[in-house]
Amino acid sequence: MRYEQHYAWSILLRLFHWSFALSIVVLVVTGFYIHFPWTNTLIEGETSFPVATMRYIHFIAGFVFTGAILARLYLLVFGNKQERFWDFLPVTPRNISNMFHTAKLYLYFTEEHRPRIGHNVLAGIIYIITFIMALIQMLAGFYMLYPESAAWQKWGLFFLGSQQQGRHLHFLIMWYFIIFAVAHIYIVIWNDIKTREGLISSIFNGTKYISSDNP
Amino acid sequence: MSRHDFGKECSVKVNRRTFIKGCTMAAAAMGLSEAMVPKLVEAAASDQRPPVIWLHFQECTGCTETLLRASHPDIGRLILDIISLDYHETVMAAAGHQAEEVLQETINKYQGKFICVVEGGIPTKDDGIYCKIAGRTAMDILADVAPKSMAVIAIGTCATFGGIQAADPNPTGAVGVRDLVKGTPVINISGCPPNPISFLGTVLHLLTFGKPPRTDALGRPLFAYGRKIHDQCERRAHFDEGRFAEQFGDEGHKQGYCLYKVGCKGPGTFANCPAVRFNDVGSWPVGQGHGCIGCTEPQFWDTMTPFYERLPGVDMPWGDGIVTGANSAGIKILGVTAAAVGIHAAVGIGKKIIGCGRCNTSSEDQE
Repeated sequence: MRYEQHYAWSILLRLFHWSFALSIVVLVVTGFYIHFPWTNTLIEGETSFPVATMRYIHFIAGFVFTGAILARLYLLVFGNKQERFWDFLPVTPRNISNMFHTAKLYLYFTEEHRPRIGHNVLAGIIYIITFIMALIQMLAGFYMLYPESAAWQKWGLFFLGSQQQGRHLHFLIMWYFIIFAVAHIYIVIWNDIKTREGLISSIFNGTKYISSDNP
Repeated sequence: MSRHDFGKECSVKVNRRTFIKGCTMAAAAMGLSEAMVPKLVEAAASDQRPPVIWLHFQECTGCTETLLRASHPDIGRLILDIISLDYHETVMAAAGHQAEEVLQETINKYQGKFICVVEGGIPTKDDGIYCKIAGRTAMDILADVAPKSMAVIAIGTCATFGGIQAADPNPTGAVGVRDLVKGTPVINISGCPPNPISFLGTVLHLLTFGKPPRTDALGRPLFAYGRKIHDQCERRAHFDEGRFAEQFGDEGHKQGYCLYKVGCKGPGTFANCPAVRFNDVGSWPVGQGHGCIGCTEPQFWDTMTPFYERLPGVDMPWGDGIVTGANSAGIKILGVTAAAVGIHAAVGIGKKIIGCGRCNTSSEDQE
């Protein structure tokens, strides 16, 4: 079997991916601590700030998360072909057929693999949902970080409701990200084993290998 | 207010309701269970309760004023009602030889049973000649009275640690009661002035349990001086998040932000001010927009000045406080994002303008 090398992911997309992934890990760990500050102490008068420290790291990671979202937003429109949103949404007959085919492949109804340089459409739909979730999560986060700011208050009240509702949603969406991360890693490994296209290494070096025997 | 009510208001006597209310307040301040209130009431109403001798030395009478001139007269009246004040130069009717006779009579009659309250520092330089009452130096009076008492309560920072008299260069060699009185328990109710509730609580503790309350290493009751101002402060959240008044009257000050940067000494001061507050109306310095000056601490005139400069060596979470820190980090992170996007866009546009051949044949564009 012959393979052709294809450049799939720009440096900016790879930077987005890893800053997004790492910030989510940090946000979940610190977020759980803020949710349940389990280190407890009866020592008073000492200057240690466990909750403040966790919140600080959480806020910094939140800004990294925000930066990553903004970079991805730019790439959705101005990125290379694989990075633009119309490449991986079911908006063309080719993409719609790919969506159904991928579903069949994942359900073991077919063994036939139809290679794509970019995302398969099923993944693409999930990524867009994730992107929207990230936007809501970001809004809820800033709503809580700047509760007294008129601007964040306006958007927060409109989309999320009260501070407490925003907090609740922020917590629930965290679970979406945890589930997404588990599913994402499982499917990526599954694909890497099944199709041998160098899928995992492509997010480090940007290059995928597509079989030239298989159009 | 009717004439009848006015008369009541001026009466020195306390009605039972006020009396029990006061005992309950003191029990709360000491962290005692409400089950203890009847015991406090019983002890405070007992006919055998010990008399009090109140000695004034190098002081301004501010501590006495604080006790007597609370905005609401209850606490002042209550203290006068609970303690049998046999000798107090400011409020006693007797004067001169009469007053001194009362002093000697009480000391002799109630030896080992009376409470000695000391207000003011004691000068020790040149045999203590800088403070004399009735021909005797403060040192002599204290040496005469204190050993015969059941306990000494040093009220105010002058009596506890020498106060302003003891500030550098301490020309009169002023010291606190603890430096001179050995063998008799000395309880330090520090502060300039101290909270009357802390004094009342200590007196009630002595009356009820017959022994002083537990104290810290500086002799201050733990119920009142066991915690830092900073750890109980209503503005503490602003400290942790990094929101400060940078100078008096600025926007941060108007917003009620932390006063640490305008010199608040709360991180180095032990007292119950944020919890118990003053004047029965819930006010205290930091609540009014002025930093703590650390008046309950030893040598505060030397160690807590300048009052309007920040106390060094106080750790702030992540340097500037977490929200302020996260803000500046956030601006940098978003700046880096903008730069990355900008570079990406510039390279894209640059390639189009140059129309370079290698780029056009790259696999990226073939797809």
